[in-house]
Amino acid sequence: MYEKNPLSPHLQIYRWQISSLLSITHRIVGIINIIAITLICIWTISLLFGEQNYEVIKNFFQSIFGKFIIISLNWTFSFHILNEIRHLIWDLGYGFDLKISKITGLMTIIGSLVLTILLYLFGRGLI
Amino acid sequence: MHHSTKKWLFTKFSSVLLIPLLFWFIVSLSSIYDGAYVDLINFFSKTSSKFLYSSLLITAFSFFSLTISEVFEDYIKDERTKNVATKMLYIFAIFIPLITIFSIINLN
Repeated sequence: MYEKNPLSPHLQIYRWQISSLLSITHRIVGIINIIAITLICIWTISLLFGEQNYEVIKNFFQSIFGKFIIISLNWTFSFHILNEIRHLIWDLGYGFDLKISKITGLMTIIGSLVLTILLYLFGRGLI
Repeated sequence: MHHSTKKWLFTKFSSVLLIPLLFWFIVSLSSIYDGAYVDLINFFSKTSSKFLYSSLLITAFSFFSLTISEVFEDYIKDERTKNVATKMLYIFAIFIPLITIFSIINLN
């Protein structure tokens, strides 16, 4: 029965819009976040095995790549927070107007970058 | 109340709960990620950290399992495969937070 159902055109033929971009990014970022939280769980569990094992992870996080990973994760979490707020506002019945939707979409992208910097600096005690 | 309505409400409730917990998590992660072993032990030994981290894990994995099970619902056509995938997802979403919470309780 499923094989007889008509198929919608492939995703690639549609012109990119901010709504589709955010929708796809939201799903990808959600998966990245849960993988990151799972790895952080393993990191937490590894603390039980003592200081020597922890040194390897500490050296990784002290490297440029380690810092890049943490800042990137700050962005994925910040983006997810802001886009989730956008979804919750939609659930309340607001923000469906095309123009408003584009504005809130842009606010999510720019806001997530600003939030990433602010939360990282706040976490490091620099602000 | 319909089962799907309950599931939707629970998903929304967990997403609202996740917002402040994620703010706390990002700030905490930024402050401790390259810290010394002793600093991390001190951080996880605090009751507030144990409580917030445990709450974050329970909420995040609940939200994750609820949303991914919907993706399975949309894209997996075979009922048996879908049931197995959903059960494995739920086991994963219970097992990982549970052993992590158990670990931080034992960190001193």
